[in-house]
Amino acid sequence: MNQHPAGEEMKALKACCAAAYSSDVVGLLLGDSYHPGGTTLTRRLADALTLTPGRRVLDVASGRGTTAMLLAGAYDVRVDGVDYSAANTALAQEAARRAGLARTARFVTGDAEQLPCPDGEFDAVVCECALCTFPDKAEAATEFARVLRPGGRLGLTDVTVDPGRLPSEFTGLGAHIACIADARPLPEYTRILAAAGLRTLRTERHDQAMLRMIDQIEARLNLLRMTAPEKLAAGGIDLDAAPAVLSAARTAVAEGAIGYALIIAVKSS
Amino acid sequence: MTVDETEQAPGAAKEGGAPRKLERDEVFVEFTKSVCPLCKTPVDAQINIRENKVYLRKRCKEHGPFEALVYGDAEEYMSSARFNKPGTIPLTFQTEVKDGCPSDCGLCPEHKQHACLGIIEVNTGCNLDCPICFADSGHQPGGTSRTESGGGYSITHEQCERMLDVFVESEGEAEVVMFSGGEPTIHKHILDFVDLAQDRPIRNVNLNTNGIRLATDKRFVAELAERNRTPGRSVNVYLQFDGFDERTHREIRGRDLRSHKQRALDNCAEAGLTVTLVAAVERGLNEHELGDIVEFGIDHPAVRSVALQPVTHSGRHVQFDPLNRLTNPDVIRLINAQRPQWFQKGDFFPVPCCFPTCRSITYLLVDGEPGNRTVVPIPRLLQVEDYLDYVTNRVMPDDGIREALEKLWSASAFMGTETTEEKLRATAQALDCEEACGIDLPEAVKDLNDRAFMIVVQDFQDPYTLNVKQLMKCCVEEITPDGRLIPFCAYNSVGYREQVREVMSGVPVAQVVPNALPLAERLAPTPYGSKTARAATGQESTP
Repeated sequence: MNQHPAGEEMKALKACCAAAYSSDVVGLLLGDSYHPGGTTLTRRLADALTLTPGRRVLDVASGRGTTAMLLAGAYDVRVDGVDYSAANTALAQEAARRAGLARTARFVTGDAEQLPCPDGEFDAVVCECALCTFPDKAEAATEFARVLRPGGRLGLTDVTVDPGRLPSEFTGLGAHIACIADARPLPEYTRILAAAGLRTLRTERHDQAMLRMIDQIEARLNLLRMTAPEKLAAGGIDLDAAPAVLSAARTAVAEGAIGYALIIAVKSS
Repeated sequence: MTVDETEQAPGAAKEGGAPRKLERDEVFVEFTKSVCPLCKTPVDAQINIRENKVYLRKRCKEHGPFEALVYGDAEEYMSSARFNKPGTIPLTFQTEVKDGCPSDCGLCPEHKQHACLGIIEVNTGCNLDCPICFADSGHQPGGTSRTESGGGYSITHEQCERMLDVFVESEGEAEVVMFSGGEPTIHKHILDFVDLAQDRPIRNVNLNTNGIRLATDKRFVAELAERNRTPGRSVNVYLQFDGFDERTHREIRGRDLRSHKQRALDNCAEAGLTVTLVAAVERGLNEHELGDIVEFGIDHPAVRSVALQPVTHSGRHVQFDPLNRLTNPDVIRLINAQRPQWFQKGDFFPVPCCFPTCRSITYLLVDGEPGNRTVVPIPRLLQVEDYLDYVTNRVMPDDGIREALEKLWSASAFMGTETTEEKLRATAQALDCEEACGIDLPEAVKDLNDRAFMIVVQDFQDPYTLNVKQLMKCCVEEITPDGRLIPFCAYNSVGYREQVREVMSGVPVAQVVPNALPLAERLAPTPYGSKTARAATGQESTP
């Protein structure tokens, strides 16, 4: 599963991810603005980026704009969000307009591996729970580095896995979309960043956030079972299989096979 | 200046002849005010943390030091500070700032919050004489048909109207008034009082009762149910319900009331009244029954919520150890331990409208049949803290979720009221599903109401645990016949209850002192079964 798809296959996978992220189990149940750790972790990430008012921040895989709006609102920075899904871009734009943040949180549709932004444009780049889904992580990291100004910081939060210990439930395409199958161990992320010229300043483990996410998935599955069981079945979700998968996931987190991490890196001057 | 051996700090140690400074065994986190539990004089107090527990310590210059456990989880005590909602200023204040908190109740202009819930005690008389009663109510001594002669009272229509009017003047549109006592259902005008409340802009009435009349008088239940059908108004029942063991009933209520409780509940279900089960929880008595109470409530058609309250150690109660009392985190841990298949740490969330350490709430969505339930605590469906963090989160974009959650995590939230039902729906609808999977959740949750269940854990303060920091933001107020709104815990802890009772009954009422283990030698009984300071060893002052 560490074999990276190439060419057409990669493109198809990317489209599938973006379009289907919101129809996979995680997206379906948690909404695609969701990432483990919620806004608390986003703030922790932002605090490490030395943001000052008026700075430019790029949010890669901006989803429905939650992170971008939080940064624009709470840190008074100008945020550009890029997402592969045009539907998300529209939703984020609308949310920013309603929040009165349309001028400081802007959104465009684009590819993380080919960011629609000039070189050296941003003081900071953030990417939450998304690098793990990008088929070409090295290329995405190169793009992060390209759009950052020298000395600019990258803030990542992402799923980590220890591939050798990942339970079989989490190795298929479904798991890929759910952020897990193509996630990497923390040291591999920092190696990928280093190769792109991004020097890691700090890493933190937030595995508890994964457990919380698993609880949330289970709770929402149960809610849907109460309110719309037939649609859940039609969506291809096997309710009977859910407890075993969730239990395997909890075990994997407890044993360190799946986790969540925060990484702060800087673009060398 | 020299310091000799005898003046050395306690705990100082010597090593090889040289004095060595020692670390304190606690973290000092707050300086605040409280009262002396014996004379009720306001005194300085400090909050300290030892072994992840929070203690309040104070010293009266006349009566010495006192210490009580106030929160069983120091980490949560500290982290809940973020969930402290800025207060809302009431439309009117009833008193002025003169001597400072807690001597000016109330509400004085320094009070930080409006009244989410107003309580009217309609009488002191009761058809029970429970060993545990913070109101010191009962069949009063000396009183035969006239409880007044024994230091009791009942309010009149005029007094009730005045109390309701004061509440409305302060609130504008009030959410909930609770009729309590004594036992309000034995007040001969209680139904009139409900009408008086419903005639005013007060959306909901709660009747706080032991259930004896509900069990035995179906016509009375029908009268309540009729008022519950008044458009835009509701009447809900707050039923004393401490558990299932005979011993629980005998030791807390003095009588085995199990069949009464069952009949009261069945009568309410039949009449369409919504009930909250309210348990007074005491260490060594019924702390093992919390999970059973919750499950029983979920299974009974009339019950939509459970309130679990550590026994308030004011008024009448059994002897307790202030350093080992039950607090909110202890109650929550017991619930989690007794129903691990349903609950885990994090399922309860502190209430932001009062001080967050006063009250914690969870809502459940419940499915399935008795014995085979699926229980979904709402805090697991979404990150409640992302919406109710008032310290760091002021600018979070919000599409109505915060407002819905604020109304749910509030002292005025009661199942059976329109506001609470509507906000539960809004929360479920806000869960981001429809875009994703095409499930029309708003449609799907329309009938969720019957499956929603609320659990409240509330630790009221007593003369031992009183912290004015919490008191100043209290949003549960006792409405007095002389037209004041007094924070519930001040009313019970500072001496206001005794003052009101004295004025209303015309009989002197002694200052009540907690029946606490360390005070055993210094207490004497009152005519109502509570304790007061023993006068023999000297004059105990009153405020």
